[in-house]
Amino acid sequence: MPQLDSFLPVWIVMFPMVMTVVIFYVEQRSEKMRNALAVATSVVTFLSVLALYPGVMAGKIIEFELFQILPNLAISFRVDILSFSLALLSSFIWMLVAIYSIDYMCKEHGCNRYYPVLIITLASCMGIFMAGDLFTLFVFFELMSLISYVLVVHEETIEALRAGYKYLIMTIIGGLALFFGIIITFELGGSVSLSNPVPLISEPSNLAFFAFISFLIGFGMKAGMFPLHVWLPDAHPVAPSPASALLSGIMLKTGAYGLLRVIFHVYGIEFMQATGWTVILAVVAVITILLGSAVAITQENLKRRLAYSSVGQMGYILLGISILNERALMGNIFHIFSHAFMKSTLFLAAGAIILKTGKKNIKDLGGIGRQMPFTMFAFTLAALSMIGIPPFNGFLSKWTLSLGAMDAGVPFYVLILLISSLLNGLYYLPIIISAFFGEEHGEGHQHQSIKINEAPYKMLIPIAILAISCLLFGLLPSNLPFDLSRVAAEYLLRGGF
Amino acid sequence: MTITEIVLRLHANSYYFFAIILFIIGFHTMLTHNNLIKKVIGMNIMDMAIFLFFVAIGYVRGGRSPILEPGVNHTFINPLPSALILTGIVVAVSVTAYALSLIIKLYKHYGTIDAEEIMRIRGGGSL
Amino acid sequence: MNLSQHLPALIVVVPLFFAFVMPLLARWRKQWCVPVTLGAIIFSFVAAVKMAFQVMNTGPFSYYMGDWPPPWGIELGIDYLAAFAALTITGVGLLIIWYGSKDLLHELKAEVIGWYYTLYLLLIASMVGIVITNDIFNMFVFLEICAIAACGIISIKESRDCIEAAFKYLVLSVLGSGAFLLAVAMLYMVTGHLNFTFMAEALPEAMALYPNNLLVALALLIVGLGVKAALFPLHVWLPDAHSSAPSPSSAVLSALVIKVYAVAMIRLLYLVFPRELLGMAPVMEIILWMSSLAIIIGSMFAIVQDDIKKMLAYSSIAQIGYVFLGVGLMSESALVGGILHIFNHALMKSMLFLAAGAFIYGTGVRKLSELKGIGHTMPIPAIAFCIGAFSMVGIPITSGFISKWYLALGSLDVGRPFFMGVILISSLLNGFYYLPIVVNAFFGEPEKAVAKPKPLPKQMLVPLTILSFGVIFFGVFPSLILGIVYRAAQLLLGL
Repeated sequence: MPQLDSFLPVWIVMFPMVMTVVIFYVEQRSEKMRNALAVATSVVTFLSVLALYPGVMAGKIIEFELFQILPNLAISFRVDILSFSLALLSSFIWMLVAIYSIDYMCKEHGCNRYYPVLIITLASCMGIFMAGDLFTLFVFFELMSLISYVLVVHEETIEALRAGYKYLIMTIIGGLALFFGIIITFELGGSVSLSNPVPLISEPSNLAFFAFISFLIGFGMKAGMFPLHVWLPDAHPVAPSPASALLSGIMLKTGAYGLLRVIFHVYGIEFMQATGWTVILAVVAVITILLGSAVAITQENLKRRLAYSSVGQMGYILLGISILNERALMGNIFHIFSHAFMKSTLFLAAGAIILKTGKKNIKDLGGIGRQMPFTMFAFTLAALSMIGIPPFNGFLSKWTLSLGAMDAGVPFYVLILLISSLLNGLYYLPIIISAFFGEEHGEGHQHQSIKINEAPYKMLIPIAILAISCLLFGLLPSNLPFDLSRVAAEYLLRGGF
Repeated sequence: MTITEIVLRLHANSYYFFAIILFIIGFHTMLTHNNLIKKVIGMNIMDMAIFLFFVAIGYVRGGRSPILEPGVNHTFINPLPSALILTGIVVAVSVTAYALSLIIKLYKHYGTIDAEEIMRIRGGGSL
Repeated sequence: MNLSQHLPALIVVVPLFFAFVMPLLARWRKQWCVPVTLGAIIFSFVAAVKMAFQVMNTGPFSYYMGDWPPPWGIELGIDYLAAFAALTITGVGLLIIWYGSKDLLHELKAEVIGWYYTLYLLLIASMVGIVITNDIFNMFVFLEICAIAACGIISIKESRDCIEAAFKYLVLSVLGSGAFLLAVAMLYMVTGHLNFTFMAEALPEAMALYPNNLLVALALLIVGLGVKAALFPLHVWLPDAHSSAPSPSSAVLSALVIKVYAVAMIRLLYLVFPRELLGMAPVMEIILWMSSLAIIIGSMFAIVQDDIKKMLAYSSIAQIGYVFLGVGLMSESALVGGILHIFNHALMKSMLFLAAGAFIYGTGVRKLSELKGIGHTMPIPAIAFCIGAFSMVGIPITSGFISKWYLALGSLDVGRPFFMGVILISSLLNGFYYLPIVVNAFFGEPEKAVAKPKPLPKQMLVPLTILSFGVIFFGVFPSLILGIVYRAAQLLLGL
């Protein structure tokens, strides 16, 4: 049914938005209803995205224009394989985070603010991934960035407000850079639609170069690219842990998604290969990888270490974008998937630890593996995956990326990947080792029998699902994310059609 | 141009010349003197200068007042500028009245009609 | 007598008439003051809407006062720009005075409230007169009425700051009018006409004979109208005037009055002066640089302010810079952006000033640092302020984004991306001073007066909601207003 399918993108974006308002009213009366509605909304969204699967896999591209704002500028939606993959990933993780939030947030204040914001951020992320032109993407991008500010400053402590302020200013700067890029694209190309049969900018010129740099600044700032990553290590730790999981897991990826769309739909592969501007991206990506991994080693706060790790991991994705051949792209998109799963597991596990024991610093985490075995086991699975040990999915993505780098004839990148994996190990393994084999620190807990004081099961189940997925997607030779990545990479390289 | 030519030209356009001088005097008074009453006087001088300029435009050498009488055929001066300036004078008078009433109120509040004093009492104005 | 035929005259005459009737009403039937004022302005608004429809359907038309054709009579020329401006003035003016009907009661002394409505009606009448007239001396008369009325609605509050600010405004305004009149004299000297269309025909020959005369007239016009429109560096009267006035006055001054002079300048620069003259002297360059300075410096000054109304006043200086930027760039998109910004800024700034006024009404607090947590206790003005702030920064789906889009496109069209950079930097600076207020409003704990505000009467809440709705509506559906703006720009550029 073509018509029903076409409406699905609009439904996927509009439904959570409408539900935000509903939740806002319901929460005045009952907390349970609010929680239930939030979870239900995310489940329905996920199922709706899943409903797109048959059509998309058959190679169909859904395009739908909602209405025109200005001549040549409209709010339109487009679902192709790339949008579908990312939307599926986001809604899945959102669903798990919503379930997790119920128990995590029950002790926090401001829940009435948290749940509607969570759902509307979901709507805006869906909007970003399913945008049919750069303008729609920009609208939803700004919406998501501004609304997630509320998530960042949720705790309302001084650090949270300061981190939020930095985040806000950088978001505005990024938004303005995007505006710059979009306007130049409109001027040079006549439209900003992603459904254009040919790339929008066809001739290199100073203006086109400025547009590329502004897109890099705008999307890179969101993706945590050096040197615009400075908001990340402050913002992710101060947010409540489920929000940190979403920020690190999904919202960083919107920046990468934007860059992918820009490079393939606005400029086109031949243009990029001819002008070689992606070299800038490659250089910055390498610096990001090394910087993120190196600085993470020095961090004491667990969530801060995870944040810097995100910076490093996003560097992989940016590197993959800059390499522009099939396997690199495949590894790139697959890494978007795997990192989302891994990082979410890590942040949710960290959240469970903070909830149960209030410990935020790594040196306090000795022996916690005996107190919370399931949580720490999940943490271990994800951490091993991050380091890149087979058979986890982290290994698979790094392997594919390396193959891509070799294909492109730049074995230097493989070296970078190896060094960063080593650095990853340096900062993850100590946590795991001290958690399971260390002595418990703190006042007078020397040799008492350690009870198992696990997190509530509503929090454990999402963590478990995510962790097991890390294992499964690496183990099974043909699994959904890997297939999707392969098809998406081929599709992008074919020119987006 | 030689000096004589300049002097002759100025003599021919003497009205305009004096109007501009008056304008500059009024403008200068308005901006530089601190006493508020002097500012208003400068405002009036400036306005009068502009009116003089305007009326002088309408002057026709040898013309008479533009009042039509049956049977009399003379050159008249251009009546339009004079009519416009009547409006202008009314406007200048009302603005002067308003400005003077504002000065009275200012005196009541600040006790002085010196602009610098007032700025100082206010604690520094804005740029 | 067909009433609708005389609409252009009536749109000015009706508020003018009721302005003079108002003092009588104030003395004998006080409760009729507000309904009569609102009625007069509603009439003007309806007339403006009708005129706009007529212009869009059949094209620009003229109206001869007293049926005397030009050049003997005064002609009112309703073209696209005039109808658009008249719509803006009467529409926003209506909302502001509706708000004011309750706010004034606690800001002014009881005996002068009737006079305020007189002045306000005079202001609206003269503003509409300025934009629709086709005769330059008529424009001068309305300019003066507008100046006196504008100073009047500031000084009516009779506090120390108000009187001083009004006096400064009056002196500078008269300077501007004087320069304008001198320019009129110079133009009359060489063309012998006072009507725009006739002057435009006669000017090319005059330019060949007396180029210096025309250049001086042009310079005087720009200075005169620039002082009144608060173009940098002639803006010195604005911060005091707009911040010390009662809230409805600040709103109408910032949103409408300074724009009218920009409209007048647009009409004169584009419709009267020949294009070659603009090429002889770098007039547009000067306007471009002055407006860029206005944009940047206005925003920079706004960042350091602590008083909310002073900050909004400095922001107005920056925003009028946008309008002049559109004028100076001389491309179609830029002109569309500039003219559209007249409308958008009128909506945004009046909403911001009315929200600020609501804060002051409810809590008496004017300092930004003391407004913590006001979002919890006074949600509707705070949300309105939030929407206005986002629009100022240029977030998409608000109307501010649309005007910035067109201005940026325009600067790219003429190949001067530097000015697009100016627009973007100023958006960032706008964020620096608006967003902290928004954050402070919603994420702090309210203390003292902020915690228990006076409840707002609905006459104050409804205009705020309508304006905020308008900002978002015209951000999502700008095509409704763009039709008339496009045609206005094309007419002005002679396309």
